[in-house]
Amino acid sequence: MQLHDDNIARDLLVILRHGPHGSSWLREGLDAALVAAAFGQSVSLLFMGEGVAALVAGQQPGPLGQKGSAATLEMLEMYDIESLLVEEQALSRLGLMEDELMLDVEPLAAGALAEVLSAHRLVLTF
Amino acid sequence: MRYAILLLGAPYSHQASHSALRFARALVARGHRLEAVFFYHDGVHNASRLAAPPQDEPHLVDAWVDLSREHQVSLQVCIAAALRRGLLDEREAARHGKGGSNVEAPFELTGLGQLIDLGTRCDRLVTFGP
Amino acid sequence: MLLHVVNRSPATSRVFEQALAGMAPDDYLLLIEDGVQGALPHLVRYYEGVEGRLFALKEDLESRGLLGRCAGSVQVIDVDGFVTLSEEAERTVSWY
Repeated sequence: MQLHDDNIARDLLVILRHGPHGSSWLREGLDAALVAAAFGQSVSLLFMGEGVAALVAGQQPGPLGQKGSAATLEMLEMYDIESLLVEEQALSRLGLMEDELMLDVEPLAAGALAEVLSAHRLVLTF
Repeated sequence: MRYAILLLGAPYSHQASHSALRFARALVARGHRLEAVFFYHDGVHNASRLAAPPQDEPHLVDAWVDLSREHQVSLQVCIAAALRRGLLDEREAARHGKGGSNVEAPFELTGLGQLIDLGTRCDRLVTFGP
Repeated sequence: MLLHVVNRSPATSRVFEQALAGMAPDDYLLLIEDGVQGALPHLVRYYEGVEGRLFALKEDLESRGLLGRCAGSVQVIDVDGFVTLSEEAERTVSWY
């Protein structure tokens, strides 16, 4: 992740640790990130642990019509989210390759998380 | 310092709201200012005025109200999360044609923007999750 | 310096790994709620590398009957101590 030259912290890091449909965490975490971006804050998203499953291509609405988050994620570009990070280890744990994901994301190597946390004024975990 | 608390757990089901309340009380006792508690995810259940725990158990909803009144703490409940879970104030109940409401002052239904604003304004924001 | 808070036992949940992954060499880790089980001598090994920076919340240990069973390397603090840690840390990150 590129830090600004003068190391000014970004405003918000939202860590998404849950996959789609199984719970409302992904949706609610994304909503918080999008609202912050809409308010003009510099926002980064990190897909961590099970959260990497949110990026699998080819998701559908749930059988009862649950919306899921795929549509929202596909529109992320429009929301001015500064960076999209994905935990490398979590990807390999699920056997996923970066090029199979629905979005262009920056891999976060093991050991690099601490630096990302301290580079943001506020960290919210979902 | 100015603090905000983000509470994501429902009362009784998880210890999150108990931990959050204890932390809230301790921080005001130390002379800090608690600007607000923001209730999101299942945390919105802390706003239900219909909660009726047994007499010999902690009454979380009342405790939040007392804290709010004593220390001017804003109690903000994410409206989207609340509506989905059946926590409605009079206005929303009327809007949705419901027979009753279960959220009243000092709890306020607000948008997520308030959480983001708290994160910006306050020196510390602490999350209590389930 | 950041404060990380974990509220689940390392015996039943892997969130503690997420907290450890996020810890810088000078960050602190506080165990609360069911997370205080991680302070037991049999489980504190999951927190190898955090010696001197590992705390457990007294009230949660007490209510679980674990106060006297805490590993020596874990610093027991009460809720006032929790607030103090949150003052000292630039931010607090919760892993639940």
